[in-house]
Amino acid sequence: MAGKWQLKDHEAERRIFNRRLVVAGTFVFLLFMALVAKLINLQVVQHEYFSARSDGNRLHSQYVPPARGLIFDRAGRLLADNQPIFNLTVVREQVGDLDETLAFISELINLSDDDIEQFRTRLQRNRVPFSSVPLRYVLTDEEKSRVAVNSHLLPGVAIEPQFVRHYPLASLTAHSVGYVSEINRRELDSLNDEERENYGGTNHIGKTGIERTYEDLLHGKVGYEIVEKNNRGQVMRRLDRTDPVAGKNLTLHLDSRLQIAAEKALGKYRGAVVAIDPATGGILAMVSKPGFDPNLFVTGISSKDYSGLITDQVNTPLFDRTTNPYPPGSTVKPFLGLAGLQHGFVDYDFAIEDPGYFRLPGVSYRWGDYTLRTAIGGGHGHTDLQKAIFQSCDTFFYDLGNRMGIDTMHSFMSQFGFGQNFAVDIDYARTGVLPSREWKRATRGEPWYPGDTINSSIGQGYMWATPMQLATAAAIMANKGKVVQPRLIKATDGVPYEPEIANPVPDVVVEDQDYWRYIQESMTMVVHRPYSDTFRDYGTAFEAIAQADRDMAYTMAGKSGSAQVVGISQEILSSEDIEVSDLNKDHALFISFAPAMNTQIDPQIAIAVFVENGEHGSSVAGPIAKAVTDAYLLDILELDFAAMKEKELQEAEAAEAAKKEAEAARLISQSDD
Amino acid sequence: MINQDFIRQSTGFFSPRSRANTLSRLLHTDPPLLIGILLLCSFGLLILNSASEGSAMVVQRQAIVMTIGLVVMFIVAQFNVHFFRQWAPSLYIAGLALLVLVLFIGAEVNGAKSWLDLPGLPRFQPSEIMKFLVPMLVAWYLSSRPLPPGFKHLFWSAVMVLLPAGLIIVQNDTGTAIMVAMSGIFVVLLAGIRWSIVITGFIALLLASPAWYLFLAQEHQKNRILTFFDPYRDPTGAGYNIIQSQIAIGSGGVYGKGYGNGAQSHLDFIPESNTDFILAVLAEEFGLLGVVFLIGLYLFVLFRGFYIAWSGKDTFSRLLAGSITLTFFFYVFVNMAMVSGLMPVIGLPLPLISRGGTAVITLFVGFGLLMSIHTNARRRIH
Repeated sequence: MAGKWQLKDHEAERRIFNRRLVVAGTFVFLLFMALVAKLINLQVVQHEYFSARSDGNRLHSQYVPPARGLIFDRAGRLLADNQPIFNLTVVREQVGDLDETLAFISELINLSDDDIEQFRTRLQRNRVPFSSVPLRYVLTDEEKSRVAVNSHLLPGVAIEPQFVRHYPLASLTAHSVGYVSEINRRELDSLNDEERENYGGTNHIGKTGIERTYEDLLHGKVGYEIVEKNNRGQVMRRLDRTDPVAGKNLTLHLDSRLQIAAEKALGKYRGAVVAIDPATGGILAMVSKPGFDPNLFVTGISSKDYSGLITDQVNTPLFDRTTNPYPPGSTVKPFLGLAGLQHGFVDYDFAIEDPGYFRLPGVSYRWGDYTLRTAIGGGHGHTDLQKAIFQSCDTFFYDLGNRMGIDTMHSFMSQFGFGQNFAVDIDYARTGVLPSREWKRATRGEPWYPGDTINSSIGQGYMWATPMQLATAAAIMANKGKVVQPRLIKATDGVPYEPEIANPVPDVVVEDQDYWRYIQESMTMVVHRPYSDTFRDYGTAFEAIAQADRDMAYTMAGKSGSAQVVGISQEILSSEDIEVSDLNKDHALFISFAPAMNTQIDPQIAIAVFVENGEHGSSVAGPIAKAVTDAYLLDILELDFAAMKEKELQEAEAAEAAKKEAEAARLISQSDD
Repeated sequence: MINQDFIRQSTGFFSPRSRANTLSRLLHTDPPLLIGILLLCSFGLLILNSASEGSAMVVQRQAIVMTIGLVVMFIVAQFNVHFFRQWAPSLYIAGLALLVLVLFIGAEVNGAKSWLDLPGLPRFQPSEIMKFLVPMLVAWYLSSRPLPPGFKHLFWSAVMVLLPAGLIIVQNDTGTAIMVAMSGIFVVLLAGIRWSIVITGFIALLLASPAWYLFLAQEHQKNRILTFFDPYRDPTGAGYNIIQSQIAIGSGGVYGKGYGNGAQSHLDFIPESNTDFILAVLAEEFGLLGVVFLIGLYLFVLFRGFYIAWSGKDTFSRLLAGSITLTFFFYVFVNMAMVSGLMPVIGLPLPLISRGGTAVITLFVGFGLLMSIHTNARRRIH
């Protein structure tokens, strides 16, 4: 080793090394300078750009959805409120492998194929990047904690609280209040830019009923906030906030107690009840039975539940029976009778001798009395308009209708809302059909035949009306011609709200105000005219209403009707749920208002009852109308009819006394002369 | 020899020079280097505290590792540099044996089968030891040959470097293999290898790199290269780290956002913010000034290392000291260049700042060797 050392030139080696060291030092310095140059480029030259990028990373402007307005009934009871739920949401941009994440989540919580499918649909919608998309609604506490524990394995997945619509009365308000559900693509596309902005934080939109009609009022105005989020999308800080403006609270004319009573009164039947306050047109009750639970739709109805609702061809729970038309049957008779009086085709003394059928001159076909079809033969004998109404004599109206003609019938009846939608805020209500020559030519391409008029004059044939229209007509009758247009909305945020009426309807004017009294009296007889020795001289609904309740405190005016069932599908006939014979039974109808013929108080409620396959208007639909009227007048308004009667007697006595006094005074003054 | 050394040193205790100086010589310490290291360590712990969201555990653990490192450094410094020269071949062969042993009974961590679990010893990586055994052996080999080295010596040097590097590559730890190879190559460069050879080799590497890229490079390596040229080709995948780290650095500006206010790191946008990408945290919170301050500290330590190499008493000492210093620089530069986007991403920590375990101890062994070299050189001068 020592030998080798001596061979080396130590000084030369040191010089070589030192030179290399200097080179190395220079390199080190230069490379650091390059690094500093790069840093200056990043931190000085591009500083603004990267600052903006950094803020873009952490700062997120997000929508703050407004609280949807609540919906109350007329007494301030909740019909729709907002309840907190916890949703599992996903920010797509922050999830690596979506399939893997979904698979992992479904290990943690119950995640149905339905949920995943709906989630994928939501993902495909137009949406703001980095916005969270609901994957599953309504997490239970256990599910929440399971997700929370694994949150570090689930970037982009979060639990978000949300307020969703809740309908405490469930199926009772399904068709009137309606429901909200997730905004779909079509609805989103129909919004203009400003509206779309306003719906930026909103997942739900009113789909039916009041929720849809007053969507603008209920929704409110979106707010904004700027938040700082971390890499996993969790909000760390709120930096700025513009508060949303909550939607307006709506008060409806609906009375939930009456709604419950009406639903109960329908009992086992499918059908509809519409009750209107004749003074305002406010809809007090609007029940279509069977209903469905609107809460199911709010957070996305499962396809199983939904197909259950749409495949039930017999009960058709989604079908709103209050706003869809049926043949009105004999319920139109009071209105036709009024038309007869107004246009001079009948007067109080006019009467026919009813043989039980009607025959057009020169035509052999006999129009039988529909009412008597199942009862013993023969007609009603000597029949005036009053009897024709309380006995529901078809022959009388065949004759009246025939003489009146379809043109007069059409123009008079349309004043009561037949063939039109008088409702102010139920734009989806069907108009039914009030036939006319033009209508038949336009829809059937056929001329109007005299026989068509005869069918129409007992509310059959081409004539179709919705329970809503019948209740409206009954209210106008109760008002003696003052037209009220049905409405659900009563007030917004406690301030009375008068909806804009696009085409106001004029009142029904008749030549002699006494015609109203006459028809109302006839309708009262339908309910109250008792059995007597005279042949067929009782009200058709007497047995089922006034006789059934001998202590009935108030007077009720009514008219029954029944309508033939048309067009039952083969599918329904093959259904095993219900006896086919039941589905062939007539629909039962009843219209009424009360209290009637009361000097102390105007009518408070007008009602139309429709009972699907109820068969008998008087005995099935009549008692339902009576029960609803009872509930409203006696239980809700708590009217004291005994006191009213007493006052009426006192007034009559006072009037009698005054009359006597005046008579006496006249005699005295005469004797003075 | 060690004892003699110690006795000779101790006589200086009563010398007229300052007592601190005497004490440092007694402990075989180089005060400027020690101060530089301690400053770096303190600054590192400060940054780590912010980068790990004030997690006391992480910072404490790092402080403990650094303390152990300092103790190891002092122990290593006590050995005379001649001891290392004499034992270099034996140590090297023992190291190689351990590397081979790893191939059979090694434990795998993070995809690299480089850990050895021997009974009675803490778990360690033999490849780490090679980081100073390779330059030691090459320095030993070349220092006993005339410089600049001839082809024959270069060939044997290459064998000494490539043998362990190859074994480490087989362990699937390319990063460490490159570091081990570089530490040996630095010795050869400092030993005066002709520039023509260096340049030829460099050009050969350049020419070979496309072939490497096409036939040998693994998918993730190709990705890193592509990402270096265009981070935005996959902004949420391969490019994510570098994009976020550049955003952090750039948004820091000249003065930084303030300690603990780095949004990028505190909101978890920077991945591995307390290991490989800790520079981004520093740059975001302390700005350009902070980074320049750190570079200044590094330069101080590096130039002290160069000074020690310069004043080494023999070729072995000089070569070893130079190589250790340059390897340290290589670490620092590669990490900083990678994080700021000057180089493709290579998984290397920032020395003394990033969180780490055995790699930190290895650094301190290197510092210990520097101190050993310097304190022994100084004895001869006085």
